[in-house]
Amino acid sequence: MNGVPELLILRLLQHEEMYGYEIVQAIRNQTGEVVAVGEGVVYPVLHGLERDGALISRRKTVNSRSRIYYAVTPAGSRRLADLSNAWTNLTAAIQKMLMGGRHAEAL
Amino acid sequence: MLKPFSELRERLLRAGVAPRHVRRYLGELADHFDDLRTEEERAGLSRTDAESAALNRLGGIDALARAMISQRQFQSLSARAAWAAFAITPVILLTMAYLVAGFILVTGWALFLPGSETPFVPVRGFAAIYFGVGRWIYFYAPVLIGWAIGLLAARQRSRAIWPAVGLLLIACIGGTTAVHTARTTSTSVGIGHFSGTSGSVHMDLANGAQLHNSLAGLPHVLLILALTAMPYLIWQLLWRFRHARSVSA
Repeated sequence: MNGVPELLILRLLQHEEMYGYEIVQAIRNQTGEVVAVGEGVVYPVLHGLERDGALISRRKTVNSRSRIYYAVTPAGSRRLADLSNAWTNLTAAIQKMLMGGRHAEAL
Repeated sequence: MLKPFSELRERLLRAGVAPRHVRRYLGELADHFDDLRTEEERAGLSRTDAESAALNRLGGIDALARAMISQRQFQSLSARAAWAAFAITPVILLTMAYLVAGFILVTGWALFLPGSETPFVPVRGFAAIYFGVGRWIYFYAPVLIGWAIGLLAARQRSRAIWPAVGLLLIACIGGTTAVHTARTTSTSVGIGHFSGTSGSVHMDLANGAQLHNSLAGLPHVLLILALTAMPYLIWQLLWRFRHARSVSA
């Protein structure tokens, strides 16, 4: 699962800014709860991405509660493209191998 | 602060995570915890059960700590290079403070006491303020830098060895540095040596033989060491006491 949290977070934040709780709920909902980790673990990933320049954060008060919202930077968009390509190639290769294994069994 | 968050903070600090990253992480975790608790309460759980469920969803202390500690980029300088943070940097800062004090002394001598044999004579008005700033820097820099070492060590929950080395170095340098002035036309300039139109100021450390013979610097060394180490030692005792109490609770 190396790189998967980064990929999911960058994809989610590509078009709208979100805060940590929203990000975790969106990951749960959009992956049908297949990807579920300790929810607090998302923050070191967010902070790491921000430190690398892939995300920017800003404090915003919504409903009288102060939140830190994250958004993707141009560098983050490039990183998302790279991660998406790598992930697509990896899954295609694994899928191919799995299918090959099934054919071999059938024979 | 909730007890698990308090434990997490101590664990992160002891592992070398920089205090500013710890503060931000805990702040966001606390916000997230509030959201989860509200969600669980809306789902019909009591306050206590909602808090328990929220903590479970947030992740165990081990997982939360591991996620942060595994990222080396969040480590503080004092954890990555304790020798630099607690020993080298303070010595450099003290040297710079002494250079500033020496510069003030020699320029003040040239500006306010051009005919005087020594700058150590009573002065008034702006000259008193000018020399006073230099004197203040000279006498208080070791203490302030020592306190900064203690504060940094306390904030980072550092092991005592490097802060102790730093405090000892600062006390030794602070307690044995001497200022010599001479009315001369010498134009030589070097570290710890300033020449002005009125004379020169030279700063040096008392050498071992001088110290052994007179022991003049030793009380000053001990005084600086006591002044700088005392707040850190008191904090250590209080922290250990509080920690022991929270563990037993």
